[in-house]
Amino acid sequence: MSILVDGGTRLIVQGITGREGTFHTEQMLTYGTRVVAGVTPGKGGMSVHGVPVYDTVREAAEATGANASVVFVPARFTAAGAYEAMEAGIPLIMTIAEHVPVHDMMGVYHTARRLGATVIGPNSFGVISPGRAKAGFMAHAIFSPGPVGILSRSATNCYETVYAMTRSGIGQSTCVGVGGDMIPGSTFVDLLPLLESDPETSAVVLIGEIGGGEEELAARYIVGMTKKVVALIAGKNAPTGRSMGHAGAIVSADGTGSAARKEELLRDAGALIAQSTEDIPGLLRGLGI
Amino acid sequence: MDLMEYKAKELFTACGIDAGQGVVIRSPAELDALIADIPFPAVVKAQVPVGGRGKAGGIAFAANTEELRERCVSILGMTIRGHVVDRVLITGRVECAAEWYLSILLDRTAKRPVTIFSPEGGVDIEQTARTAPERVARLAIDPLLGVRDYHARYLLTSTGAHGDPAALLSVLRRLYDVFIRYDCTLCEINPLAVTAGGSLIALDGKITVDDNALFRQPEVTAYRDSLAEDPFVLAARSFNFLYIPCDAAGSVAVMSNGSGMIMSCIDSLSDRGLRVRAALDLGGGATADRIARGVSLLLDDERTRALFINIFGGITRCDEVARGVAGALAKRPGDGRPVIVRFEGTNKREGVAILGEIPGVRYVEGLSQGVDALCERRSAL
Repeated sequence: MSILVDGGTRLIVQGITGREGTFHTEQMLTYGTRVVAGVTPGKGGMSVHGVPVYDTVREAAEATGANASVVFVPARFTAAGAYEAMEAGIPLIMTIAEHVPVHDMMGVYHTARRLGATVIGPNSFGVISPGRAKAGFMAHAIFSPGPVGILSRSATNCYETVYAMTRSGIGQSTCVGVGGDMIPGSTFVDLLPLLESDPETSAVVLIGEIGGGEEELAARYIVGMTKKVVALIAGKNAPTGRSMGHAGAIVSADGTGSAARKEELLRDAGALIAQSTEDIPGLLRGLGI
Repeated sequence: MDLMEYKAKELFTACGIDAGQGVVIRSPAELDALIADIPFPAVVKAQVPVGGRGKAGGIAFAANTEELRERCVSILGMTIRGHVVDRVLITGRVECAAEWYLSILLDRTAKRPVTIFSPEGGVDIEQTARTAPERVARLAIDPLLGVRDYHARYLLTSTGAHGDPAALLSVLRRLYDVFIRYDCTLCEINPLAVTAGGSLIALDGKITVDDNALFRQPEVTAYRDSLAEDPFVLAARSFNFLYIPCDAAGSVAVMSNGSGMIMSCIDSLSDRGLRVRAALDLGGGATADRIARGVSLLLDDERTRALFINIFGGITRCDEVARGVAGALAKRPGDGRPVIVRFEGTNKREGVAILGEIPGVRYVEGLSQGVDALCERRSAL
């Protein structure tokens, strides 16, 4: 097992004829992902790396029985892409772009709940279940199959962690790029239950950062988990009131969203706190992984 | 980005909220042409994107033209919490019977807009929430339903406020229009003056607009471009980099290719007592050309004493990174400031070989080794 994506994933790439879409379609196919269709308005009938292209998600889904989509379109069109996939009945949608307006994501978030779809991202590398499938743009060479599930707001901190884990011989069940935005389609508390009930996941690494309240909510859920959690909070020394590039990473002047508060709550909930990505393999080893 | 009071009031007015009449000047010389439009007694207010300007002397009253000129001369050029006042707003003084507080902000946890109301306005809302929590109401707005008449009734009755629900509803609806139309994460009116006749006037305002939506907010973008800013921020923006000024007394500059990595670098350096002056996020897909621009931009700041480059590629090619560093340093012979580079990704071996031939550049294998290398040079930082 694993969560979200695996050998049964039948993936659509929205924006498949774009530079990024084409490049990463090839990467995903190479990794063994079943990319069954692509979508670009006006390019129906083409084919990209052998994958048939359709004008709309509905046609692509009807023709191929796709059950997931990855949205490789620019930020300003990301919400429209997600809506199209949701209305076509796609149950799992990965959004990738950085800099999606937060009002757009507010609409996507509430619509996804209404229509019963799971949206991952934006500002995310996507989802990878190492050795099985990937939907996104992560550099897959550093990932390895194994028992640890990872949820991360940051792509680069996740890469660092995975790289260190793989070198230490610790593999991953599924890694999810939750994304660095103020309103992600799915938050830590939406995803932790999936890892908790995944029989192939033995422990969870949660890579959070300053800003917002998602780590605080995660702490409440972690209290009742049977699986151990190792957590890292990035941005302890970020200047107050200044956005750090991730729209979501900002500490208010009153200290809301601070790293200290998040670490305290997570520690009280039973999570082990890593001070840097390099500490994570050692902490996992200590848990018997 | 945070808008100053006068800009916030312009957007309020555009959506039909009464925010009073006012003029903005950048030099006392502009007064002569505008004096006929200014009602006395007048208020002169420093325009800065931070709070606390009243206590800092940035707000003053003027009974006549002469006083007005004096107040403008003394406030323009003043520094308030690090911001030099380059413009003031002049308005007529409003007599009010009560001062309320009203805002709409994006609640990240609820993932929806939330309105906050209090009949105890004119002070910091956090303060009212501590001293008189029963006088503060908080109400989530369903984005599918928008503002409804019962919202205004609830805000008034639940806080024990006396006022006309229709008047509050009208301002709340229009404030929600501002929130949606301008892609805001915060719209705040404080105080919202209640006049003796019962009408509501926005006496002060604050708006935060989502930076990611500026592409569809031409009016806000034009305003941003009119502000005097850190020249390094402007230079970085022209190359589509994100430049984050950190510690003005810091000496280490950090360059990386993702905001998570930047935060990790700043954390690791700060933990060892090193002070980060600025960080530059290259974003994804960094080519040699962009790396070179980033390096040049950070080294153009003479108070940068060392540069730490940390790139976790994946699909970024390390030889591209190395060529970028080489290209930038070739244009500054004899610069001498240490450049520490760490990268992971494709063509790492070729990249390391290129770096080995650049004087003053040291390659390290990981983030912590990079921090160690900077600590060794602590005396020069």
